Amino acid sequence: MTFLAPVFFYIGLGVAAGAVALHFIVTRQPASSPLPTVRFVPTSSVRVTTVAPVPEDLLVLLVRVLIALLLGAAFARPVLTPDRRPVARVVMADVSRAVGSIAQVRDSARALLGPRDVLVAFDSAARTVRSGAADSAARLTRTEREGRLSPALIAALRAAAAMRDEADSIELAIVSPLRASEVDASTQAIRALWPGRVRVVRVATGADTLPPRAGLAIHGAADDPLAFAAAAAGIATSDSAVRVVRGTASAADSAWAAGGRRTLVRWPAAGAPSGWVARATVDTVGAVIAGEAALVFPLERRWALDTATHPTRVVARWVDGQPAAIDRAVGEGCIRDVAIGLPARGDLVLRPAFGRFVRAIGTPCEGVAGGPALDEARVSALAGSGPLAASGAVRPPDVTATPLVPWLLGAALALVLVELLVRRGSAPLWSGASDDARSARDTGAAA
Amino acid sequence: MSSLATFAPVLDAVRGIGWPALRRVRSAVPGPHVSRVRGTTAEFVEYRPYRQGDEPRKIDWKLVARTDRVYIRLSQERAVLPTVLVLDASASMGFPAPANDKWEHARRIGIGLAEVARQKGDPVGLTVVHPGGTRTVPPRTRRTVLEEMMHAVDVEPAGAEPLAPGMREAMRRCARLAIITDFLGDADDLLALGRTFVASGGELHVIHVVDKGELEPDPRKLLLADPERPELRRPMSPPARAEYLRRFAAWRDALARDWRHAGAVYTMVVPNTESMRGTIRRLTTPSGGAGTRSGR
Repeated sequence: MTFLAPVFFYIGLGVAAGAVALHFIVTRQPASSPLPTVRFVPTSSVRVTTVAPVPEDLLVLLVRVLIALLLGAAFARPVLTPDRRPVARVVMADVSRAVGSIAQVRDSARALLGPRDVLVAFDSAARTVRSGAADSAARLTRTEREGRLSPALIAALRAAAAMRDEADSIELAIVSPLRASEVDASTQAIRALWPGRVRVVRVATGADTLPPRAGLAIHGAADDPLAFAAAAAGIATSDSAVRVVRGTASAADSAWAAGGRRTLVRWPAAGAPSGWVARATVDTVGAVIAGEAALVFPLERRWALDTATHPTRVVARWVDGQPAAIDRAVGEGCIRDVAIGLPARGDLVLRPAFGRFVRAIGTPCEGVAGGPALDEARVSALAGSGPLAASGAVRPPDVTATPLVPWLLGAALALVLVELLVRRGSAPLWSGASDDARSARDTGAAA
Repeated sequence: MSSLATFAPVLDAVRGIGWPALRRVRSAVPGPHVSRVRGTTAEFVEYRPYRQGDEPRKIDWKLVARTDRVYIRLSQERAVLPTVLVLDASASMGFPAPANDKWEHARRIGIGLAEVARQKGDPVGLTVVHPGGTRTVPPRTRRTVLEEMMHAVDVEPAGAEPLAPGMREAMRRCARLAIITDFLGDADDLLALGRTFVASGGELHVIHVVDKGELEPDPRKLLLADPERPELRRPMSPPARAEYLRRFAAWRDALARDWRHAGAVYTMVVPNTESMRGTIRRLTTPSGGAGTRSGR
């Protein structure tokens, strides 16, 4: 066991020593001696302070010393130091939808995890398992969420900081298919915080995470401006995982979307898809944004999202923040409703911005979209080189858990109450009246 | 256990010391003290002209022959002075324990004075006031009276028995009364009785026993208690000590003044500060009459 702030423990030791010293110093009524003419002595009280050969009130002294030591130990924040081992591991196991075989992830993680190692299971969020990591790895299940390496790396850094006193070196292992979608702009910067190499264990990617067929299959009139814009943008196709219905979507269309990793875009040429209601006042807010595509045009805003509709994601928003297009998950696919009316005349559909906007609206839903694998260069950068991270190089945790502190403080508080009872029970207070026949004395070590 | 051996040094010390009466005594019993009565004993004093009624045997016929006048011889009568000693055996006289210096000194003085009086032919008695019962030895002249006194003073000082009842009883049996006490009990009652006794013609000696420890208390003893009233406790701090010395001295002065004004011979004695012979001589030597004997 070590103390995070040992000076407080030393202070507690000093206070305890002071208590012992004070218990040698006693204030008491001296023994009386006979004097027949004592009536001529003026009345007053008397107490004398002497050094006793042995401490007074041993029980009270014991309680007080314990209180001082417990308080000192509590403020010194003791932590239990486990036995050191050569290498400790933090294993990041990817359980996102990018994983082709979760069994492969389980096996790889269990092969790496040893006693007292830490498992960080992650998809879009990270969960740290410190106790029984190997057993937890055996029960990992695949989720339908995207994988994100950045939060997992941060969780791994925190876990490693908590393990720096347990081992000489700490190894970080990543068990993941490592898709490009799992890396964001901050991933490499976070990786740079790890002071050693990283073991990368790549597992198979799920087939359903491969990119779907590109392009838009537009089902509408021949002179539909959207079809023209898609053709102009080069994304029109007859066989695509994204179908745009310009009229009323049929049950077959919905079944088509639900039956696979497909996206059905309901973008009526007139009116609005179900789940939208007409606005009381039609206005033109001037622009609409989808992803990184912004379309600046005085489009009429005729519909608003019904409050009873619960979208999975808002795909496009008017410039004032109101939703303009939403996604809803259906089976294995999704349905995207677009409530943007296109003008019957004008050159909007001819503008490149509109083409980019259609491309953005026509991207597959997030839940069904796939992505490419992380390229080897970025994998190498992620793995790094050199030795394992030395535990001393790992940044210590900002906050170290000290579970003993509340127990020590509780024990000290209980002893304070015990001290009060013991003091009252063993040493009744002496009033000090000189004419009083009582010879009880009061110890001078009162705080 | 008191015995003759215990008091033998005292008896030796007082040998040859007299204790003359301060005034002419009234007693008609022949004794060592000058009597107020003038008779026809061999100790010639003066001649007086014969008056009718005088015994013819007292006529000095040789003087008649020389002067042709009739005179009778007058002589000085001497009488005894019954003496009673009253000893205070209260707890305060047991100071300092365990030597009981005050009590030891008081009873040695008592035995010494008794011997002085007895060896001159005065009847001498003793009263010891003690919570176990007042011990009384009636005034007698026989030698065994001393042994009775030694037995009577064989007590341990204790309690806080008032001295006045014993003094009142003794006053009825003597013409000379000596009180040996520390006056830490019923001092006012004693003073009142003393005034009555002196007014009735008695000779009163007041012997105030004060220990050195009372005059100069041990500064190391910080808390002091009255042996007669254990609940009375006072601390003796340096300021309190100065005040104590002042109050005690004032009380002693007042006590001596009151007794002397009452006509008694007040003498303060301090144990172990002078020889017993010196103490007895100081107590028994007349120095100008009642009330004028100096104390310490």
